[in-house]
Parts: sequence; structure tokens; C-alpha cells
Amino acid sequence: MKYTPQEIENNVNVSPQSPLRTFSIALAKIAALLFIIYLVIGLLVDIIAPRISIETEKKIGALAGADLKGKKQTEQDLRLQAILDPLVQGDPALPGFNYKVYVQENDQVNALALPAGNIVVFSGLLKEVRSENEMAMILAHELGHFRHRDHLRGMGRQLILLLLVTFFSGGDTTSQRVIMPSITTMQMRFSQRQEKAADQFGLDLLNKTYGHVAGATDFFVKMSKKNDWPKFMYFFSTHPYPGSRIQALTERIQEQGYVAGKAEPLWGALIPSYAAGFSK
Amino acid sequence: MGDLIQLAVLVAIGYFVGSRIEKKHYRSIKEREKKLLCCPVVTGDDFLEDKPIRVTRLVSGSAVISTDYFKMIAGNLLNLIGGEVSVFESLLDRARREAVLRMKEEATKADIILNLRIETSTIAGRNSVEALAYGTAVYYEK
Repeated sequence: MKYTPQEIENNVNVSPQSPLRTFSIALAKIAALLFIIYLVIGLLVDIIAPRISIETEKKIGALAGADLKGKKQTEQDLRLQAILDPLVQGDPALPGFNYKVYVQENDQVNALALPAGNIVVFSGLLKEVRSENEMAMILAHELGHFRHRDHLRGMGRQLILLLLVTFFSGGDTTSQRVIMPSITTMQMRFSQRQEKAADQFGLDLLNKTYGHVAGATDFFVKMSKKNDWPKFMYFFSTHPYPGSRIQALTERIQEQGYVAGKAEPLWGALIPSYAAGFSK
Repeated sequence: MGDLIQLAVLVAIGYFVGSRIEKKHYRSIKEREKKLLCCPVVTGDDFLEDKPIRVTRLVSGSAVISTDYFKMIAGNLLNLIGGEVSVFESLLDRARREAVLRMKEEATKADIILNLRIETSTIAGRNSVEALAYGTAVYYEK
């Protein structure tokens, strides 16, 4: 047999399609798939969340807030509790939890509504608050999340999505790194609507409890001065643009004819003990 | 968000550096293939001419080629949805051709290399591929 050497001209072993194109197509397909799953899950969670009984939520709460269970409230916490209790009594339609508020040391200016009636206020937020009414508005806002059962929805979505991602990627961390950040961004966008609904609820409850709405927008005004991020950055944030929250609240105040009132600087008693408590 | 930016930067670096290196490698492969075209390599064993054989010996060449971050991420995405994982094709192609070239370079002045076999395996988790080419170099009496 005669051997004839021949150069490789057309390489059939390598696809001619550009790798960049392959990458984009794969990314687009996965994004579309995740988006559909996300929508379906969102729908399911929205259907299921309001139907979860208070008893079941208490059980979930025991899991989610395990580190808060049986935690003794500090003097600080009790002062906040004194603001919270009248608010809770103000709305009989609130789910019948044992509402408790705790202060947690954290520089973030934020407060959380955890399942089964636990509210966590970060010390970073406490530093910003100047009047009882302002604090009451924040607590009433968190009560709004309980009233609308937002934390269950949010948790359901996150939980199911996390499970899905782990399932799809087979626990492969590289793909999880691609997918997870984009999911959290979507999740945050979703909760902005809930934040606004909780604002409205908080405002109504504030007015019901105090007879006026002093301090309702104080916190957001402060935030809008503090964070002069451009508006588009709020797409990536858990909370809506403070400016648009102030506007929505002001509109509602005018619409309902709420009285402006005068803020009560009861906070004075709390600040020294607060400062002492956290200077350690 | 920070994670996403970090990932995008790594993928971009992987793509630009990776494709530069790949282009350079292919240039070198093609050049050397042309140079070594004179030495025949076959997979069979019945290509011997009717000449007395001076010596035969085992020759081998191996090459390890690493993937880049772009290929890795693209490959992972394709793993999710299935289909041809075309981003890795050039990697394997380069490894195989490089291995054969190295084998030929080892067998300088051989009259023919018989029984060529190529084996591949993964190295360092799934990040690199090794191709091993081996065969029997035959030298005739001059």
C-alpha cells in the first residue's frame, strides 16, 4: 500500500461556530428557562402563601428564627416592644403571633420581619432614628409584611429557587455562581412592590394608633439625603428608591386626609442606654 | 452583584487570553505539521516496504492543554441544557495534534511510524486534557 502524506485543510473536528456565539445561545436558553420557572414558582407561592395557616407559620418560624427562640429581650428591645405593642393592638386583622422585637448589632440601616412575628432591628437603623413616631412607622411597616405574609412568599421563592439551582447544577458551584446572583437580583426587584404595600399599611396603622402621621416620611427623607445613589441603582436594591416611597406616602396622606401632627421625642430616654449598650 | 462582575471579568479575560493562545498554538501546529509531513504516520501495521529493517522502537508524544475560564463557564452552561459541547472541541483537537507532533519530533528521521494510537484523559479535575500519542517508529537499513 502506498502512503500519501496530506495536509489537514478543513478541520472537521472543530465546529466552525464561534465559541462566543455558542456561549450566548446557551446563556439565553438558560435565562429563558429560569425565567419561566421563576414565574411559575412565583405564581404557585403567591397562591400557597396566603393559605398557610398561622400554626404552620409558627412551625416554620421556629425553624427560621431558631436563634431568636426563647431569647430574652434586653432593656433596649423592651423599649422598642413598648412602641410595637400598641401598633399590634391597633390592627385586629394581623395574624395572631406573639410579636417580639429584637435589636441586633449590624451596621446596615435595615429591619427584618422574620416568620412567626419576630422583628429584628439593626443597630445601624437605630442610630438614624430620632423620634418615637419615626420608629413606630418602621415597626408598622414590618407589621405590614406580616399582614401581607410577604416573608413567607419571599422565603418560599428563595427556598424553591435555591433547591432548583442546586438540582439543575448537580451541586456544581461554578454554575451556581452564574445563576445565584441573577436570581437574587430578580428576587429583590419583586420585593420592592411588597415594600411599597407595607409602607401603605404602616402609614394607615400609624395614623390609627397615634391619630396623626407625624414621622411617617422622616426616615425615608433621611435615607434619600444619605444615599445619593442614582435612581437606576435601586434596581439592585431590596428597597425602593426613597424618593418614590416619600412621594407614594405623601400622596396617600393627602388622599386619606391624615393629620400631620407632632412627633414625640420620646426617644431621648432610649438613646443614652442604647449608646451604653453598644459602646462595649 | 460583586460576584457577578468578578465572574464577568474572569470570563472576559478567559476569552481574550484563551483565544489568543489558541490562535498562536494553531499557527505553530500547522507550521510544524507542514514541516513534518515527510514522515508518514499510519494506524495500521501493513505499510512496510520490502526493505531490511535496521531498528524499530516505541515513540510517544504527550501534550496537556488546559481549558480557560470562558470555556469552563460555557461548558458548564452547555452541561445544563445539553447538546454539543463545541467549546471543548478545539481543546481536544489541539491536544491530539500536538501529541502526534511531539511523537513525530521524537522519531526524527524514522521512515514510517506504524500503529499510531491516541489516548486522552482529564487532568487536574476536569480543567485540563492530556492526549498521548504513541506508535512504532521503523528505520530501514540505508
